[in-house]
Amino acid sequence: MSEEYVLELKGITKEFPGVKALDNVHFRLKKGEIHALMGENGAGKSTFIKVITGVHPPNAGELFLNGKNVQFTSPLDAQKNGIAAIYQHVTNYPDLSVTENIFMGHEKVHKGTKRLLWKEMHAEARAILQDLGSSIDPKEEMGSLSVAQQQIVEIAKAISTNAKIIIMDEPTAALTARESEELYKITERLRDQGASIIFISHRFEDMYRLASQVTVFRDSKYIGTWGVNDISHEQLIVAMVGREITQVFPTKTNKKGEKILEVKELGKIGYYADISFTLHKGEILGLTGLVGAGRTEVCQSLFGITTYDRGEVFLKGKKVKIRDPKESMNLGIRYLPEDRQLQGLVLDWSIGRNIALPALKELSRKGWLSEKKEASLAKRLAEKVNVKANSIFDLVSSLSGGNQQKVSVAKLLTADLDIIILDEPTKGVDVGAKSAIYEIIHDLAVQGYSIIMISSEMPEILGMSDRIVVMREGRITKIIEQKDATQEGILEAAMSESKKVEIG
Amino acid sequence: MEHKTELDNQGYIQRSLLDKKEFTFKGFFLQWEWMLVIILIAVMIINATLSPYFLNYPSLRDGTMTFLDKAFIVFPMAMIMILRDIDISVGSTVALSSVVMATMYNSLGVPMELAVVICLVVGALCGLINGLLIIKFKELSAVIITLGTMILYRGIAYVILEDQASGNFPEWFGFFGWGYVYGTPFVLILFICVAIVFGVILHKSTFGREIFAIGKNPTASRFSGVKVDRIKVIVFVLAGLMAGVTALFLTSRMGSTRPNVANMYELDVIAMAALGGVSTAGGKGKIIGTVIAVFIIGYLQYGLGLINIPAQTLLIVVGALLIFAVALPKVRLPKIFRKK
Repeated sequence: MSEEYVLELKGITKEFPGVKALDNVHFRLKKGEIHALMGENGAGKSTFIKVITGVHPPNAGELFLNGKNVQFTSPLDAQKNGIAAIYQHVTNYPDLSVTENIFMGHEKVHKGTKRLLWKEMHAEARAILQDLGSSIDPKEEMGSLSVAQQQIVEIAKAISTNAKIIIMDEPTAALTARESEELYKITERLRDQGASIIFISHRFEDMYRLASQVTVFRDSKYIGTWGVNDISHEQLIVAMVGREITQVFPTKTNKKGEKILEVKELGKIGYYADISFTLHKGEILGLTGLVGAGRTEVCQSLFGITTYDRGEVFLKGKKVKIRDPKESMNLGIRYLPEDRQLQGLVLDWSIGRNIALPALKELSRKGWLSEKKEASLAKRLAEKVNVKANSIFDLVSSLSGGNQQKVSVAKLLTADLDIIILDEPTKGVDVGAKSAIYEIIHDLAVQGYSIIMISSEMPEILGMSDRIVVMREGRITKIIEQKDATQEGILEAAMSESKKVEIG
Repeated sequence: MEHKTELDNQGYIQRSLLDKKEFTFKGFFLQWEWMLVIILIAVMIINATLSPYFLNYPSLRDGTMTFLDKAFIVFPMAMIMILRDIDISVGSTVALSSVVMATMYNSLGVPMELAVVICLVVGALCGLINGLLIIKFKELSAVIITLGTMILYRGIAYVILEDQASGNFPEWFGFFGWGYVYGTPFVLILFICVAIVFGVILHKSTFGREIFAIGKNPTASRFSGVKVDRIKVIVFVLAGLMAGVTALFLTSRMGSTRPNVANMYELDVIAMAALGGVSTAGGKGKIIGTVIAVFIIGYLQYGLGLINIPAQTLLIVVGALLIFAVALPKVRLPKIFRKK
C-alpha cells in the first residue's frame, strides 16, 4: 500500500434496492492536491461522497486512509478521522450565529462547569475566517449572509473540525463569477496549508482553474483519472457523456408565427414597472438580466403566483386577468419554477403522481380519479422526456438532479398549451443533460409552443433565443433580435448605471 | 426488475418504464392497519377478561352508541392533519352548535326540524371561520388560531345558555342517539356510511389527491395549479359540519345540553386520528386506519366503563394510548410492526 495517498478507494460498490449507484469505482487522493471529480448528474458522485463520509457504508470495496484500511460507520466517524464535506445545498442553521454554525456539534465548553465558552469560540471563528481572507463577523446571523458567504462559513467549519480531507460538492453552482473567484482563492489556500480537496463540479472553468487531477465517473462506473493538462476538453466530454457532443445548441428550425401574447405596461410596486413585450407562436424569447432584476417576478405574475398592480395582458388578442396559477394553466400557460425541489416537485411522491398532479382534472371524471389514465399519462410523458428510472412508481427523491428536472418538464406537458415559461431550466444540470434539455426546448418551439426562457447564462441566451429581453432593476432596458445580439450589448443593457447592484 | 431498453435515432438510451405495480404479500401485510387490528383484538380480549358482560353481540352493538358520536369528526380531522394543520376547536364547535339548537327550540320557538338544520349550519360556520382565519393569517399556526376559536366558541355557548341545561326535545329527536334500523343502531349505520364517503373522497378523488399533495409540499402544489387555500377552507368547513353532526347525536343521546358538553372531544378525536396512522407531519394517513382506531379507543373506554372505572381514569388511558400511537413508529420494533 502506497503511503503517498491520503485517501484511496478500491473497488467500491454501493447498491440500493434495484439500483447500482456505484459499480467498482476507484479513487486516489494525494496530500495537498485538488482533485476534480466530474460526471453527469446521476453518475454516482453524490453517492460516492456519502460513502467517503460514512453516510452509506459500501456493499463491497476497501477504503484506505493514509494507507490504513478503515471503515466508517457514521458521518461522525468520518469527521473524527478528518474528513469533512461541504454539500451542494448548504445545510446550516439560518437563525443561529456564524460562530454557532461553525462549532455546531463540537462546541468548546468549560471542563468543569460545562459552560459554553462563547468568547473563545467567537475568537477562534474570527481567526479562522480571517485566515480564509474573509471579513464575516462571527456574531452575524447565518441567514443574513449571501450564499457565497455561507459557503465560506461551511469551509470554516470544516477547518475547525481539523479536517485534512475536504470534499466540496458543486460549491460554485449558486455563485457569481466574482464570488467563485474568491472561493477559488480560499480553496487554493487550503491546499497550500496541506489539506487535500475533492472538488465536484459541472463547470469546466472550475476544474481548469483549480484542479491538478481529474477523475470521471459515468453511469455509476469509474472511467479514468488524468492530469488536467494531459486530457483535451473534447476527450473529457467524451469521457463524461460517452459520446461526442458536436454542438451544444440545436440548429434552429422553429418558425415564428402570429402574435400570441402581448404584455402592456405591466407593473407591480416594488418589483417591476413598464413591462411591455410580445410573444409569438413558435418563438423562444430569452429573458435575461442580473439576479434580482425582476425577471422571475414578471413571469410569476403572468403565471398567477403573484398579481400585478398595473398594466394589461392580452392572450390571442383577448384581454385576460390572471389571478391564480390554475387560471393561467386553463388559459394554456405553464411555468417551470427555478427551485425544482421546493417549488417543482413533491419529492417523496412517485414520478407518476408528480406528473399527474397538474393534470388531475383531465385524469378524472366528475372528480373521480382514474388510476389507469394516470399511469398511462405518466408513462407516456416520462418516456417522452427520457427519465432514467425503473418504473413510474419510483420516488422522485431517488432520482438524480437532471432526471428530477426531466420530471418537472414532463409536468408541463400534461395538457394542450400555448406558452411555456422556463425559469433557469438548466440550473444545476450537467453538460449532457443540458444539451438534452436544449433539444427538448427547441422541439417544443418547433411544435408551435411559445417559450419564455429566463436565464442568467449568456451562451444559453445567445444560443437559444429568437429575441432577447434584457431587464435591469425591474425595467426592460433592451429588446434585441438574436442576429443583432452580442454578449457585450446584453451585458451593457443588464448592468446598472448606479453600480449598486451586484453582478450576477 | 426487467425492462427493455433500446436506442432511439439520436443514440440516447430509450427506456421503457414499468407502469404496473407488483402485488406482494409482504407489502400487503406490512401495513400499519394490521397492527391496529392486532391492538383491537387485544382490547377485545382484555375487556372480555375483565367483564363478563362485554363480549356478546348486544353489548358490542349498543356499546358503539356511547362513543360513535364524536367519531364523525375523526375523518375531517384526518384530512386536516394530512394538510399539516390541526383543529382543536371542534369540541367547542360541538358545544356551540348544540346550545344554539337547544336555545332555538326552547327559547325562540323554532320547530325542532329547523333547529336540527341550524345546528349543522352553525357547525359549518364555525369551521368556515377557522378556515378563513387560517388562510388569511398564514404566518400563524393552526394550533394558535383554533386555540383562539376554541375559547371563543365555548365562550359564546356560555353566554347563550349561562351554565344552564336545556332539554325537553320532542320524542322523535331521541332517534339520533337511541334509534335502531333493522336492529342496528342508527349511529353505527350512519358512521359506516360517512366513513365510506370520506374514504372514497380521500383516496379516490382528485380532491383527496390534492389534500395529500398540499400536506407534502404546499408550494409545489400551488405551482402545479392546486387551489391550496380553497381546499383548506373546504376541509375546515367539513370539520365544522361533522362537529354539528356530533352535536346532534350527543344532544339526542343525553336528552339535554349544557355549554360544557363535548369537553376535550378534540383530544379524543386527534388521538383517534393519530392512532389510526395519520401523520402530524402531513401527507400521510388512511381512512380505514382511523376507523379501526375509533373502535379501539371507543371499546377501550366502553369496556373500562363497564367495570366501573371512573371517567377521570379513562383520561389516563386515552393519554397513554395517544403517546403510544405517536411513539410506537419511532421505537425500533421488528420490521413487521413499523408504520409505513
